[in-house]
Amino acid sequence: MGYGRWDDSAYDAARTFRAAEGLDDFGYTADLRSVPWEQWKAHPALDPFGVGVRESRDSADHGNSLPIAVLFDVTGSMGRVPRIMQEKLATLHGLLQRKGYADDPQILFGAIGDADSDRVPLQVGQFESDNRMDEQLRLILLEGGGGGQKSESYELAAYFIARHTATDAWDKRGRKGNLFIVGDELNKKRLSARHVRDVIGDDVGSDIKVDSIYRELSDRWQVHYILPNQSSYYRDPEIAEHWQGLLGERFLRLDDPGAVCELIALTIGIAEDRVDLGAGLADLRDIGSDSEADAVGKALAPLGGVRRGRSVGALPATTGVDDVDL
Amino acid sequence: MFGDRHLIVVDLGFGDAGKGATVDWLCSPAAGLDVAAVVRFNGGAQAAHNVIAGGRHHTFRQFGSGTLSRVPTLLSRHMLVEPLALAAEARELAALGVADPLSLLSVDERALLSTPIHGAANRCREDTRGTARHGSCGIGIGETARYALDHDAPRVGDCRRPDVLRRKLIALAEHYAPVLAGGRHRYDPIDALMQAYTAFARAVAILPGDQLAGFARAGRLVFEGAQGVLLDEWRGTHPYTTWSTVEPRNARAMLARIGEPGYVLGVTRAYLTRHGAGPFPTEDPDLTIPERHNETGEYQGGFRRGHLDPLLLRYAVDACDGIDGLAVNHLDAVDAGNEIRTATAYLTADGCVDRLRLGPWQDLDHQRSLTDLLAHATPALTALPADLPGYLEAELGAPVVLTGHGPDRADRRIRIPAEA
Repeated sequence: MGYGRWDDSAYDAARTFRAAEGLDDFGYTADLRSVPWEQWKAHPALDPFGVGVRESRDSADHGNSLPIAVLFDVTGSMGRVPRIMQEKLATLHGLLQRKGYADDPQILFGAIGDADSDRVPLQVGQFESDNRMDEQLRLILLEGGGGGQKSESYELAAYFIARHTATDAWDKRGRKGNLFIVGDELNKKRLSARHVRDVIGDDVGSDIKVDSIYRELSDRWQVHYILPNQSSYYRDPEIAEHWQGLLGERFLRLDDPGAVCELIALTIGIAEDRVDLGAGLADLRDIGSDSEADAVGKALAPLGGVRRGRSVGALPATTGVDDVDL
Repeated sequence: MFGDRHLIVVDLGFGDAGKGATVDWLCSPAAGLDVAAVVRFNGGAQAAHNVIAGGRHHTFRQFGSGTLSRVPTLLSRHMLVEPLALAAEARELAALGVADPLSLLSVDERALLSTPIHGAANRCREDTRGTARHGSCGIGIGETARYALDHDAPRVGDCRRPDVLRRKLIALAEHYAPVLAGGRHRYDPIDALMQAYTAFARAVAILPGDQLAGFARAGRLVFEGAQGVLLDEWRGTHPYTTWSTVEPRNARAMLARIGEPGYVLGVTRAYLTRHGAGPFPTEDPDLTIPERHNETGEYQGGFRRGHLDPLLLRYAVDACDGIDGLAVNHLDAVDAGNEIRTATAYLTADGCVDRLRLGPWQDLDHQRSLTDLLAHATPALTALPADLPGYLEAELGAPVVLTGHGPDRADRRIRIPAEA
């Protein structure tokens, strides 16, 4: 996957015409509204069950592919964030490419729910570098469930990205991809073997410790957790402590949920050493994202001085062996 | 003033004379002209018709300039339609408070489709021309017209036939591959274009054949020209022209087919401007009249200003085969005490010239000689007469019926010409 070239004018035009026609930007979710909840399932293009690997590969057009995975918590009020993302996808790509934050970004979208209570707890698309990523986004089911126990199945998503992705960035260049999890709750206490079997289809015999799977994930991915300000958990010290423990400074609090695209773009620009925080915020103001720039500036203040390739995660490198929780 | 006639609004200069503001006023409730639709009869998305009405500003490109008054637009078969730009313009209009602007739009299925492939080719070609640039807008209007001359070009109706459209887009891309290969301009992947064009076909009314009579039954039509007659493909200063019939021939023919009368309203400023390369005898860099909405374009260069030139305007009137009335805009620039003068004749190597001859239609040799003459002409300039409308009426042989004294809709005044 990952051919072609993104252009926001064709993308924006298609979106405008769809809106004029009265079509929902999340067409798959709209379609499922007429189906009983028990029968809801992930769109085949995003169903993680039985997937070997999602690949981000170099091509003739894209010789320096940079994998970016964005996984949204779509439970409860968090369903708003994918909609914001959809509205601003062109902005994100515009920043990444026109401002040169990344040469050949390839973006994968996915959605995270609650494997204890949701019909569709995990959805994962493909790495795309053109308008097909818009299609993937529109196929996400915004189930809007969640169990109300202050945890979602982020660890299941982390497992999928750790075990079921392959990237040329890593294989050929030893460069980590960037993973963004956008959510507002805790991981489940353990990565449940049953969830892995049911949702992803891997034959895993026992539960895995959460910090173990994040450690494995950090081998090939810079992992960021974005907590947007839209629920009571924004100020909850337990949430911050939990994620800071796993990801250190890559736990990012975002005042304005509308700025999530800008935050992702700038985080990548800084990680790729293409821009520093000050210049990046100036870029945002250039494109008219003034209030977003303020929110991003606050969110990234701790990351401002970070240089490319230096891990700031709190976890040490993995030993390569599953830290099985018996 | 106009009776029951449909109105054809044409710019007698090089463009930017105020067609948009004029059409906006004609369509406004205050004018009371019962306009049923604005019909675009030439050009494409490169048009830039600035309208300011009660604090709202919009640069009309493909939507008709009556849109702020919710007058529908028909893009006729003579238009080069660019759906991506149309979507962007719809978003701008929606932001100004025009509800569901795309619902105001109808498009003739025979109109040519102007694509980013044409645009990229256009810019690549202009890049290689260096200082010999034609002053193109970089959107690909010329490429669209040229490609269609000898290829099965994509048309608006094809957006409803995905298989046909895809085949035509692939052929188009292959045709332009050599031009684009060395350049720095790219275009959207065909899949992305297909997505946008098929959504366009579902969202906008695409009409078969001639539907003009139906629009005319609902009331008066205003034909909104783009560019200016002096840029007309056959009557303009070749080769610094546009690939479009700017003079009212096509609009008149459309009305003739439905058997209804038209009134040609020629539009000029109180001085002349030109945006892009080409001869401009009265150009004067010392004229510093402020320009709110015309900026330096990457492919057009700076905005040029010059003194009033009744010789060129008279030639444009002749190229229109006569006009019925005149609208004179930017009279506030004269009142503001700018040093605007008017040409009485040209001094040339062959002596004094006080009238430009209209050659046979489509005789580009004649047009080239006109360009040569203008390029080497020195205008004899004199002070503007106090009664500028009266002066233009005498010079151009048509009554001034409308005057513009500022950029806003409220700055337009009806002028009832004195009986001869």
